[in-house]
This record gives sequence, C-alpha cells and structure tokens, in this order.
Amino acid sequence: MTSTNQLSELLTAWEETYKKGQLTLWIFLSLKDGQKYVDEIKTFVEEESNYTMTSESQSLYRNLRKFQHLGVVDYKSGEGNKGPDRKYYFLTDLGRSLLDSFIERNINLFFNERIKNLINKEI
Amino acid sequence: MKTITKNLVLFSLVLIILTILLRYALSFSLQNQHFNSVWLIAVLYGLIVFVFGWIFGKRDNESLPLYDIGFRFHVATYFICNVIAELWYLLELQSDYEKIKVVHLTVLFWGIGLFIHFIFYLNTRKNVIKGLKKSEIFE
Repeated sequence: MTSTNQLSELLTAWEETYKKGQLTLWIFLSLKDGQKYVDEIKTFVEEESNYTMTSESQSLYRNLRKFQHLGVVDYKSGEGNKGPDRKYYFLTDLGRSLLDSFIERNINLFFNERIKNLINKEI
Repeated sequence: MKTITKNLVLFSLVLIILTILLRYALSFSLQNQHFNSVWLIAVLYGLIVFVFGWIFGKRDNESLPLYDIGFRFHVATYFICNVIAELWYLLELQSDYEKIKVVHLTVLFWGIGLFIHFIFYLNTRKNVIKGLKKSEIFE
C-alpha cells in the first residue's frame, strides 16, 4: 500500500468516526441561522460543511422529530411552493441554550490562541 | 412522554378487529364441534397479530424511536385481548364449550407476565430522556 493510499484510508476512517454525532451540531447551526424547512437545512448543512457532511431528508426528518419531541426544536407551518404547507423549523429557548452550552464547552476550545496556533502550525 | 402514537392506535384498531373475528371464529367452531379448526384459527390469529405488531412497531420506531422495549404495545395487546374476551362472556356470545374461568386465568397469568415486563421497562427509564434513549438522541 502506498503512503498516499494509506493516508487516504486513515483520513476516511477518522472522518467517518469524527462525523458521527456532528449532524446535530450542523442542524442546530442551520436553525440558529434562521428558521428553515427541511430542504433548506439540508442545503445549509451540505454547503456550509463544504460537502463533508451529507444527510438524507429522511434522516433529517427523523432527527427533527426527535428534537421536537424533546422540546429543543419546534416548527410552524408556512406556505410552500405550489404544494402543501411546509414545516419551518426553529430552535426553542431550550434548544438555543443547549447549542450555546455545547459550543461553549466543546467548540470554543478550538478558538483558544494556543490551540489555534497549533492547528495552523506546520509540522 | 408521548405514549399514544399514531402507529399504536392503528395497531390497536387492527387488533380489536382481529380479536373480535377470533372470538367469533372460535365460538362458532366450538359450538359446531369443529374442534380441530380451533388450533388452526388460534395459530393463524397469533401469526397475523405478530406480523401487524412487527409492521406497526417498526413504523413507530422509524417515526419516533421511543425506547420502551415494546411495553406500550404489550399493554395495548393485553387490554384489548382480555377486555374483548371478558365482554364476549358478558354478552353471552361464547359457545357451550368455553368457560369463563379460562379467561380470568388468562387475565391473571398474562397480567403477571405484563408486570414482569413493566419491571424491565422501569429499568430502562434511567437511560432515557422523554422516552428517547440517551445514546440515540444525538447519533
């Protein structure tokens, strides 16, 4: 196996593990950006993650149903394009607090000067 | 926690219809002394209920994965089967070969089974938030 192939395989394996659980963060970020219907959430997640994250609409609906059940996300009906009404999802107060707490404890670490320097430092 | 879901209601409606059909078929067969067909009817009923339980249970989990180790569907099945059986006797629709004692004993022993299921169900509550398994919420 060439070192390029090995690098590619290792990177893929790491990314597969890394991405597990990340969909929630991307969904919440898309809703922090403003209320959206499912297709808009999908587009946001894919575009803003540079297509490193992909999600099927079914999977998004399933997750949104869970979040709605838990009270972190809710929706209101709005007009769709010609078709039936769309569900516009948004973060509830609990959802916003949850996202803020998560970011503070897990994401802001990467904005620490030392860590930022390490990330940008060439080995 | 949301306990009565659309799929549970649909399953219950199908079960009510199937159970009424079962009781009718059983009583009719026994009254006409078709004793051999009783086994066939009972097995067929069991299989059909199992298939519908599987289908609606699967759909229910796909819609909202409430982690209850099948307890909600078990409770619904217990009440529907036993209430219809008791009513069948109350309305005197049974055959001459059916005894109410069997229905009461079914309620009792199945009830013990349901209670044991309830204990296991309670044990799962420490791993859930609003009925959803903690490890599956943010997967």
